[in-house]
Amino acid sequence: MRMELNSREPVYIQVIRYFKERIASGVLEPGTEIPSRRELANTLKINPNTVQRAYKEMEELGLIYTEGNLPSKVTTNEKIIQEAKDALLQDAVVSFVSTIETLQIPLKDVIPMLETHYEGGEKDD
Amino acid sequence: MIEVKNIKKSYGKKQVLNGASFTANKGEITCLVGINGSGKTTILNAIMNLTPIKSGEILIDGAKLTKKTYEKIAYIPDTITMLSTMRIEDAFLFMQDYYTAWNEKRAKELLEFFKLTKDEKIQHLSKGNKAKVNMILGLALDVDYILMDEPFSGIDIFSREQIADVFTSHLIEDRGVIITTHEIQDIEHLIDQVVLLDNGIVVEQFNAETVREEEGKSIIDVMREVYRP
Repeated sequence: MRMELNSREPVYIQVIRYFKERIASGVLEPGTEIPSRRELANTLKINPNTVQRAYKEMEELGLIYTEGNLPSKVTTNEKIIQEAKDALLQDAVVSFVSTIETLQIPLKDVIPMLETHYEGGEKDD
Repeated sequence: MIEVKNIKKSYGKKQVLNGASFTANKGEITCLVGINGSGKTTILNAIMNLTPIKSGEILIDGAKLTKKTYEKIAYIPDTITMLSTMRIEDAFLFMQDYYTAWNEKRAKELLEFFKLTKDEKIQHLSKGNKAKVNMILGLALDVDYILMDEPFSGIDIFSREQIADVFTSHLIEDRGVIITTHEIQDIEHLIDQVVLLDNGIVVEQFNAETVREEEGKSIIDVMREVYRP
């Protein structure tokens, strides 16, 4: 588990995004156990209080759940997973459009290029 | 909570602390940052009552420091204070004789954590390993607060990483830590509170996550604003 940390963005938000991406993409399957707060803090070299905050927020968002004293697990709620996916796509599209906008390129010219790269990009993954 | 309230201190004519105030909470890592000579070490010495202060007040969990407080707070100075002819195990024995808070089990655990062996002589250790033994002597005390003076200065990157690892391990757990440093990069994502010192006063105290969240600034961004005219 690796994560490049941005020093200007709250660490807990970066942790949440990290999990959101993995939950949305299915890398972390529904019901998978996630590391304990201390394990994650240790792996990512971040403050345990920060991890605690990220986990608390993810729990409130329904992305993870905890039963009693057991390790937290990834949600099995399809609706929440889909929402996380949608939200990430939304963010990506907004940032893409705002970059493209400044270049003043019409959508019809963008789409073919997008298609080519989309297919090319998939191979890279 | 450790409360440092308006403390003043001078060495002869030289004013070292000009009314420094800050607080450090239990369960949090508070980092005192400042260039050399800004009064970081003097503040730690003052908290431990190793140097008298001219005015101001220091409270630990609401009370002034007494002899009993030393079982509640540990100080890890920037160089090891044990005799260099001692083996690591002798140093442990020494600590055990002096502190009821000494936790031998944790000391052994820490030795393992740092991959050191107890029969090594302190004088034969590398600088990095001396720093690690020094850390163990403080961390193996069952105390609520730990003060560390420049634990990263002058040691190699891997030893620094190992020492930084301690902060996320159960060895720190819910204790309150005050650490001084001028090399913030190593621990930027590990600390809760930052206290910026300049000329013996606290110019700013802030929560690292809050500054990232509300102002989009890194700790170094804030330091740049404060220290660069």
